[in-house]
This record gives sequence, structure tokens and C-alpha cells, in this order.
Amino acid sequence: MSSSAPPATSPPLAGIRVADFTWVWAGPFCTLQLAHLGAEVIRVESANRICVTRLLPPWPDGQPGINRSGYFNQYNQGKLSVALDFNRPEALAVAKDLVAHSDVVCDNFAAGVMDRLGLGYEQLRRVKPDIIMISMSGYGATGPEREFVSYGPAQVPLSGMSSLTGYAGWPPMHVGVSYGDPTAGLHGAVAVLAALLHRARTGEGQFIDLSQLETTVAVLGEGILEQVFTGQPPPRCGNRDPQMAPHGVFPCAGEQRWVALAARDDDDWRRLAAAMGMPELAADPRFASLAARKANETALEALIAEWTRTKRAEDVVALLQRAGVPAFVSMANRDLAEDAHLNQNGFFVRLEHPEVGTKLHVGVPWRMSDTPCTVQRPAPCLGQHTEEVLSRILGYSADRIAELKRAQALT
Amino acid sequence: MEIATQSQALAGLRVLEYGHMVSAAYATKLLADLGADVIKVEPPSGGDRARQRGPFPRGVSDPDCSGLFLYLNTNKRGLTLDISQARGHALLRRLAERADLFVHNLPPPLMDRYGVHYEELAAGNPRLVMVSITPFGLDGPYRDYAATDLVLWNAGGVAYLNGAPEADDLPPLKAFGHQAEYQGALTAAVASLGALFGRLRTGRGQHVVVSIQEAVAAILEMTFEYWPYMHVIASRLGRRPIQPLAFLELRDGWIFACCVEEHQWQGFVELMGNPEWARLELFENRLARGENGDALTLFLQEWAKEQSVMEVYRTAQQRRIPFAPVSTMGDLLNSEHLRARGFFAVLAHPEVDGGITVPGAPYQLSRTPWAIRRPAPRLGEHTEEILTRDLGLPPAEIDALREDHVL
Repeated sequence: MSSSAPPATSPPLAGIRVADFTWVWAGPFCTLQLAHLGAEVIRVESANRICVTRLLPPWPDGQPGINRSGYFNQYNQGKLSVALDFNRPEALAVAKDLVAHSDVVCDNFAAGVMDRLGLGYEQLRRVKPDIIMISMSGYGATGPEREFVSYGPAQVPLSGMSSLTGYAGWPPMHVGVSYGDPTAGLHGAVAVLAALLHRARTGEGQFIDLSQLETTVAVLGEGILEQVFTGQPPPRCGNRDPQMAPHGVFPCAGEQRWVALAARDDDDWRRLAAAMGMPELAADPRFASLAARKANETALEALIAEWTRTKRAEDVVALLQRAGVPAFVSMANRDLAEDAHLNQNGFFVRLEHPEVGTKLHVGVPWRMSDTPCTVQRPAPCLGQHTEEVLSRILGYSADRIAELKRAQALT
Repeated sequence: MEIATQSQALAGLRVLEYGHMVSAAYATKLLADLGADVIKVEPPSGGDRARQRGPFPRGVSDPDCSGLFLYLNTNKRGLTLDISQARGHALLRRLAERADLFVHNLPPPLMDRYGVHYEELAAGNPRLVMVSITPFGLDGPYRDYAATDLVLWNAGGVAYLNGAPEADDLPPLKAFGHQAEYQGALTAAVASLGALFGRLRTGRGQHVVVSIQEAVAAILEMTFEYWPYMHVIASRLGRRPIQPLAFLELRDGWIFACCVEEHQWQGFVELMGNPEWARLELFENRLARGENGDALTLFLQEWAKEQSVMEVYRTAQQRRIPFAPVSTMGDLLNSEHLRARGFFAVLAHPEVDGGITVPGAPYQLSRTPWAIRRPAPRLGEHTEEILTRDLGLPPAEIDALREDHVL
């Protein structure tokens, strides 16, 4: 931690510094949580190995640019960026120096990559004995498949999630995002925070081996247990649920407008039937109990779809929520951005970025009453803070920085 | 089991949980498995609803055998308490007085009804961190909206991105399980530990509110920004810009064929034995393959139907092509890789010989091991122990509470 104590209302991780060697989504999502909590997160990047998300859309006006990607700018908010070319030995020395001034190191390369760069845990603990290092590889640091290649879209099938997700009778499906990445990132942040608490108590750092595969299997516990208990996996069943009916997403008026709704029990079902203007359905023997509704679920869903199809999704939600029935619009990105509730609750971030201007970004998904957490700065341009970090944090002189520049170590 | 709790990262941390189903339970499980002492409070009538959820051994419903409950509540002690009664609420306050952290997922209307408010619970313990996991937060027009996992997965925007790209009459599709709740749980665990770390400096606890809708909206990959950056609505419909990123049915299961870089595609073509069709102009680069994805899939599927999943997976990986099997639950349980890493854990259980296999450590901390010290509690298993040993209640008082159905 830095020598001068931060003020009492600073965010909880004020004074903690993270050397962030991550890229793509999983690793940056881990360090985003630490940045949200107030840590000083310093991305170590290179113009010779640009983070994939800097190269992907969306870009304003469709014009590409390494500092213009909404993808990168979402998941790297609040962080600083230092550019170092690891092909230069001088750059590796700077990276080690940065670690010596940090509390946490995070990477999400395949197992072994940091070691080969000379930045493995055993090497780094020599420059900072109490360093906490987390490596978030696809398969983990040990085991026969540790060096297998892992891409975000392939993690979802690998973890078993795809085999359980899909419409009844259809092939396995994705889940809509590279779900292994944020799931790994959040688990990683939990592990780092636990290690920071341990270090505060004992002075000890440590190495954390996180496998993205394992963190995704961890959120499939009931699927694993069904296999263990019955010898069969749960079947793919679309949006249905074994213990609730109706339980689905239904079409509404307009282009691709949908409403999700569920009846948790018979009371919900009675209220839903009444709200639909068909209270008699509640006593209809086809639908009067959960077992009956499950047995006649296709007919039940057809009745509901017939009712929702002509209505605005927002109107269905208002009507059902007034009746106490769980329901919500299936939100598209535009719905979220324009949502009155999320805007009123201060969820979104609007900060001026030097290359894209002020764009709406998703912010911190929690509120703290005593040490508020807010995004303090937009995502960095590549290498934007190289000089600042080398001089302010590492204490390098202007001459030394100029020397490194001449050696082309700072790109 | 003889694991020295002192060697775990969160040894000595005292956590109180009041939770139904997944979100609060998984948040505190993450802490319990790293050494925290977690007391789980359940209503006497049936307990946590996860106890009714299953899956159950031999399919027989039993509140002490629900797989979801057993998985989510490892390493916790259990207490039954009716917090809707004044004396039950008073005991909750006393438990909160000796806790570092209280995590609950009562929806806001029930927080009001049961008087679960930070000011009150922290009155005798200003160092208390209280984390409220809510569907939509504690402010704003949706504060009191009813929700389920499906509803929140849609409210947060992930569901809209998933489903058959070619069938616009089929609805947005949920992911398996309770993923909105898991995301809420993980977000709550991050915020909990963050607040506890902040307390080292401030000496004060605080109230932390998590909105599951926000936690889901925080994981939209690049899709959210398509609106502010380009005024494009992101949906599941339409084709993927590059191919192959495709599920293929092999003779013994499914594989996900993934070629992002050109050298990966070239390796895949070699792996298939350099078929003639792969040289067609239609497939000359990844964008062309994306454009002609339907034709490509026909060729690939024709080749695939004779192949075996593990063989294609291993051969592709040897060539550094990031294919993955579409793992079944059985594949995972039998995976040599996961076995070599010691991933799955076994919970002792009186009803199941040989114990119950569950997903184990999601991370390995080199100095402070993840560990199962005890299985999930039976309903009310530790009520007496907690009231006697932790709160120092005399036996007569405990009997009276029992008689009045407070416990």
C-alpha cells in the first residue's frame, strides 16, 4: 500500500496497485472489479501485441481505431495504460519494476506464457516477496490439457453449459455471450480479494491458479448433481422450468419484442389468469395445479402468447407487476440504455474520452453507503500513462525515460 | 475433516446469511470454502427454498438431500429462526452483533415487512457490513417488482442475445440453471470482500446493495456498446461475421469448431485431409466463410458425422486450433484433466454411500487452500449449538423459543 493514507471516504481498495497483464475479456473483467473498488489498475500493453478488444467493433461512425472500440472502452474503465514492448529486455525490466511497486499481478495468458516471459510467480516474488499473482488460464496451470488453446466462444461448450442450454429437441446452444469470461473474471476478483485480506493479516502473498473451465463448471452445480444422482443430465428444455409453469418468454407487439414471465406457484398463476382477463383459466382442470400445467404446457404457452402478441411488452409488464406476477421485458441494448430505472439509479457512466467523446458505459453494479465506488476515468488510450507511471510510480528520471524511448521499449 | 481453518484465507471471518435459492447462498459459499465461519439462517417452515429444488438422490424429494442446496451450502452451520416474530428478529440482531458480514437476498418488500434494515442491525455493531442482493436495487421504479431468475436474465439483457439465429419466431433463450442469481452472487462476493477490505482502513461497516439486473447488464460483452457507439440494436439474429464457429454433430457427440485465425482454418483443412471443397473461392477467408456459412456447415457436417469427438478435439488442439468438445455432465465427471487437478470434491452424506460429487475449488490459492470442512447443514442442524455456544442462551430460553415456534 502507498505510504500516505487515503481519505476515509475513498473507495475500499484505494492505495492498492494492480499490474494488469490481461487481455481480451476474462482478465480485464477481473481487474475491472478491482478498479471499481478503487484500486489503481495499470494495464501493461504493447503496440506490437494489441489487445483483441481494441481491434473489434463497435466503433463510433464505424471508423476503426485502437482507442475507439466500445468493447475495450467498456471493460477497461478506470484503468491506466503503459505501453511496453516485451521484445526489448529494457521493457521486461520496467515490467518487473512495476510489479515491485504493485500489490497484485493479474494475467490471463495460457499456462506457461508469463514464465517464458520471465514474469512467472517465482520470478516476480523475488522482486516483491508479498506479491499476489493470479493467472487466469483457460484450463489451469496444471493437468494434461494445461497448454490447450482456449477462446471465449469455445469455453461455453467446453464447460458443459452448451450441452444443457437450448430449445427442446434442438442442438446445443451458446448463451449469448462468452460466458466463461465474466464468470472467470468475477471468481478471480473474489480470489484476489481473499488473498489481499490474508496478506493484511499475515503479510503473506501467494499465487492463484484459476482455470476458466472450472469457474464455469462451478455455476453448473445442479447439472453436475443431476448426473451424479440419476446418471442423466438435465434435458435441454428451452425457457421452461421443472417447478414453475408458465415459465417463458412470449412475443409482444412490434419487431422482436418479447416479455419474460413466470408463475412461481398457484397463487401467481391465479393472478396471471385474472390479469389476462381469463380468471376461469385458474380453475380449468388443464391448468389448476403445477402438475396439470406442466402436462399441458404447450397449450398453456399458446394461450399466453395469444394474449401477449397484440400488446406492448412494457404494458404487459406493468399490468403483471401490478398484480404481483414476475415479468419483465426481454431487454435489448437500447432498452437498457434508455431505461428510466437504471438511469435514475445512476448505473451508467458518462465520461469524456479523448477519441470517442462522451459515450454511455455500463458502470458499477453495486452501491456502497460509506465508501462509494464510481468509475473515475474512461478507458485509457494505448500507452496514455506510460510516462506518468514511469515517473510518478517508478521514480524514473526524464533522462531514463528518454533512454527507454530511444531503445523503443515504450511502444 | 482435518483442515486447519487457520491456514485458510478468510479464517476468523464471521458471516451471517439469510438466503433462499442461489444468490446469497453462493456468495457466502465462496467465503465459507475459503475459511469463513458462515451461519445460515433459515425459516423454520421448510427452510431455504433450494431444499425443495433438487435434484434428489433416486428422485425422492427430501429437504436434507436437495442437490442444489447441498452444493450451495458447504462449510456452513445452519440455524432455523422465524424472523417475522419479534423474538426471532431480536435473535437475528444478536447474531448480527457478532458478525463481520451479513448477506441476504430478501426482496425489498420483505426487507420492509421483516424489518431487515442496516441501521437497526448495525446499531449494536457499527463494524457490520450488510450486503443486500436484490432483483432491481433499493431505489427506483422497479424496486418492488417481483422477479425470478428467468425474468432477471431477460431484464439484464443477456437472454435477448441468445437463441436460434435463423428462427425469429422462437423466443430469446435462457442459459441453463440460475445464471442471473450466480452473477448476482459473484458480484455480491466481490463487493462484500471489497467492503471488508475497506473496513481495515475506516474501522466502519456499511450497507452494500447489489442489483442482479445490473450484475447481468454488466456482462453483455461488446453488445451493449453497439447502441451508444453505433446506434445498432444487438440481437441473436443474423449470421456470424466469421466462420467456422459452429456446433457439429459427430458420431459420438458434439464438437464446437472454432477457427478465428487463418492458420487455424488451414490446420483444420489439413486435419480433414485437404478436401477439394475447402479450396473453393466461397471459403477463401474467414469473412467469405462467414458469408457462405450455410454451405460451409453442410460440407463440415458431412465430414463430421464419421468422426469421434475426443479424437478431433485432441488432433485439433495439437495443431493449436481452439476446438472444444460440447462437454456433457458425464464428460466433465470423467475428464482426466479435471481429475488430475483434483477439481471435483466429495461431500459426505448419510443417505448416499460414498458421498456426493460436486464441483470443487474454482481457484487454487497456493498458501491458503480452498477446502470442504463440513457438508451443508441439515435443516436446523446447528440451532442449539449456535444459540448455546455462540450466543450463550440458557437451555430454558431455547426450549421456550422452540415451544413458541420461533426456532
